[in-house]
Amino acid sequence: MYGPKEERRMKWFANLATRTKLFLGFGMVFVILTAVILTAYMGLISIKSSQSNLYQKDFIPAMNIGKLLADQNRTRADIEEVMLTKNKAKQQAMEQDIKDRENKITELINFAIGNLKSENDQAAVKKMDELNSVREDYRKTRDEQFALIQEGKVKDARQLSMGIQEQRYVRIRNLASELMNTETKHAQARVEASNAMAGKMVLVFILAGVAAFALSLIAVFVLNGMISKPLKEISGAAEKMSGGDLSVDVSIEDRNDEVGALSKAFGRMIAYLQEMAAMAKRIAGNDLTISTNPLSPKDTLGNSFADMVHNLKRMNREVMDSVTVLASSASEILSSTTEVASSVTETATSVNETTTTVEEVKQTAQVASQKARQVSEAAQKAVQVSQMGERAVDETIEKMARIRLQMESIAESIVKLSEQSQAIGEIIGAVNDLAEQSNLLAVNASIEAAKAGEHGKGFTVVAQEVKSLAGQSKQATAQVRTILSDIQKATSAAVLATEQGSKTVEEGVKQSGQSGEAIKMLAGSIAEAAQAATQIAASSQQQLVGMEQVITAMNSIKLASEQNVTGTKQTETAAHALNELGQKLKLLMAQYRV
Amino acid sequence: MSGEKREKFSKGGDWADIHRRLEDARLAVDREPSPAEKKGMLRKRARALAKEPEAAEQGEHAWFLEFLLAHERYGIESSYVREVLPIKDLAPVPCTPSFVLGIINVRGQIISVLDLKKFLDLPEKGLGDLNKVIIIAKGDMEFGVLADVILGIRNVPLKGLQQRIPTLSGVGEEFFRGVTVEGLILLDAGRILKDKLIVVNEEVF
Repeated sequence: MYGPKEERRMKWFANLATRTKLFLGFGMVFVILTAVILTAYMGLISIKSSQSNLYQKDFIPAMNIGKLLADQNRTRADIEEVMLTKNKAKQQAMEQDIKDRENKITELINFAIGNLKSENDQAAVKKMDELNSVREDYRKTRDEQFALIQEGKVKDARQLSMGIQEQRYVRIRNLASELMNTETKHAQARVEASNAMAGKMVLVFILAGVAAFALSLIAVFVLNGMISKPLKEISGAAEKMSGGDLSVDVSIEDRNDEVGALSKAFGRMIAYLQEMAAMAKRIAGNDLTISTNPLSPKDTLGNSFADMVHNLKRMNREVMDSVTVLASSASEILSSTTEVASSVTETATSVNETTTTVEEVKQTAQVASQKARQVSEAAQKAVQVSQMGERAVDETIEKMARIRLQMESIAESIVKLSEQSQAIGEIIGAVNDLAEQSNLLAVNASIEAAKAGEHGKGFTVVAQEVKSLAGQSKQATAQVRTILSDIQKATSAAVLATEQGSKTVEEGVKQSGQSGEAIKMLAGSIAEAAQAATQIAASSQQQLVGMEQVITAMNSIKLASEQNVTGTKQTETAAHALNELGQKLKLLMAQYRV
Repeated sequence: MSGEKREKFSKGGDWADIHRRLEDARLAVDREPSPAEKKGMLRKRARALAKEPEAAEQGEHAWFLEFLLAHERYGIESSYVREVLPIKDLAPVPCTPSFVLGIINVRGQIISVLDLKKFLDLPEKGLGDLNKVIIIAKGDMEFGVLADVILGIRNVPLKGLQQRIPTLSGVGEEFFRGVTVEGLILLDAGRILKDKLIVVNEEVF
């Protein structure tokens, strides 16, 4: 509405009380009107003064000058009379009258001079002065006339009247008529000025009226802006607030008048309501941490809010406690239900498994029964086979004994062989000895041959030959000895082998005996086994019957446990729902900030 | 192998082979070689023994009896050798030098036996058989020396003998004639026989 400068300028105004503002507004109009009235009054006064001036300064002097003329005329006439009359008393009365008139005229002239002087009409003043001086001269001359008259020199006096006095009189008359004209002119000018003043006054009136109208309009606008607008704004805000809208903002001007106070109070009210609304919003937003400070004991809303928050907090706490208890109970119920469900499921599974197992056991029992029968048959056969085995073992033992005998004979033969080869060794030793001796003999022969010189040469050859033979014999014996040693080794090995063989055979005999024993025992065991198998077959038959019963029972248990599973599942679902509810409640309660 | 053998035995097939081989052996033992075979054998022998006749006398030669003593070959001129014998019944004689081993009876003649190793102060190179006696003689002097193996008679050229014997030193040097290129150490039997040490004349009370 206003610029900042204007606003600042307006501030002092805004701060004024409304009464003062109204007063000021109307006062201004009053002042203007007063000014207009004053102006009019002044105009009237000036017109009046110009009227009076016209009257006093122009009309009266003109009149005075007229009177002056008349008086002058009279005095002249008087003088004539005085000259004519011889009556002394009369003369003196006349003189007195003339003097009075004279004084009157002087008075008039002085007045006129003052007036003229105030009019600043120098020409007129000069004329007046001239008039005065002329009159003075006239008066002096008259006074001489009077003196002449007194002395009885009327003639002289007459002469004077006819001469100079006449001239002076004419002069006075001329001057007076000129002055009268001037005064008339002055009067005309004054009338004209008065007319101009009246015109001016009319203009001033018009201007003042317009100004007063304009100022009144401005005052109306300003006051409208100052008072009505904020009030309208506040009322609009109030209207909005009555519609529940608290987002209104009253532009509170910092001013000290009633509007300012109203807008401030209104602003405070809005703030208070907004605070309350915010509080309500926070409470609505589950925030109970707000602190409520009632402004006064009369603050019903604040007190109610405080009570409400307090009650809500208390209730919240109680509900919270209950919800916590509920949630924990629900979760416990859930966990135990889950455990029950799982254990029920496990039980169902176990029952299932057990049923299956029982089925399997039944089948196993069937198989066992069959197998037991087979075992029984097999055992019968095994007994026969073991009898055959026994016989075979007996035969084996016999054969083994024979083998042992043969082994012994082999060993004996080999020992004989060994002994014989020993004899061969001895023979070979002898041969070796012979060879050695032959060798020496050959050497001796050679020596002898050498001694014989040329004659022994042939003998030397023979001796050499013999020696060679001896060497070969020796080699042969060495070979034979080697072979013999090999034979010896072979025979020892053979003896050892036969010995071992005989021992093995003995062990074999023993083993066969044991085998026989074992087979006998086996046969016994098999017989027992056959008996046992028969018993097993019988008992497994009974078991089968029992298993049938167990299966029937297990099937009923299975049915029951399945029902249990379904029931616990429903319970679990319910517990879940309960737990969820508890959690949800908890969450909901957690939204409240206490 | 053993598995195979056992298999064969269990089959009984190998027994026939064994019987056959035994038969062959018996035949081989009993058989007399045929005259032609004998002749062949003899010819083979003759070829093996055949030797180039000794080269014409080139320089001085002498017959030496070659024998082994402590793995060394020694030779003694055959003119000093009376005979060689296997040692039998060596009787030790007390109060004799260490090189005198004892006495033996050779067809009724008592002959003292020396150990050349000790006599010539030869290095001991392990034990030998020492079961042969070489009887050497010159004039009245006669005694036996022990040998391990008698190798035989050899005709040795006396030229080109190495006089120095690296293995010997000192005492017995005078009794050696030299060493042939084949490494045969020739002993001077004459000097040995003449040596005064040999004669033992000691009285013991």
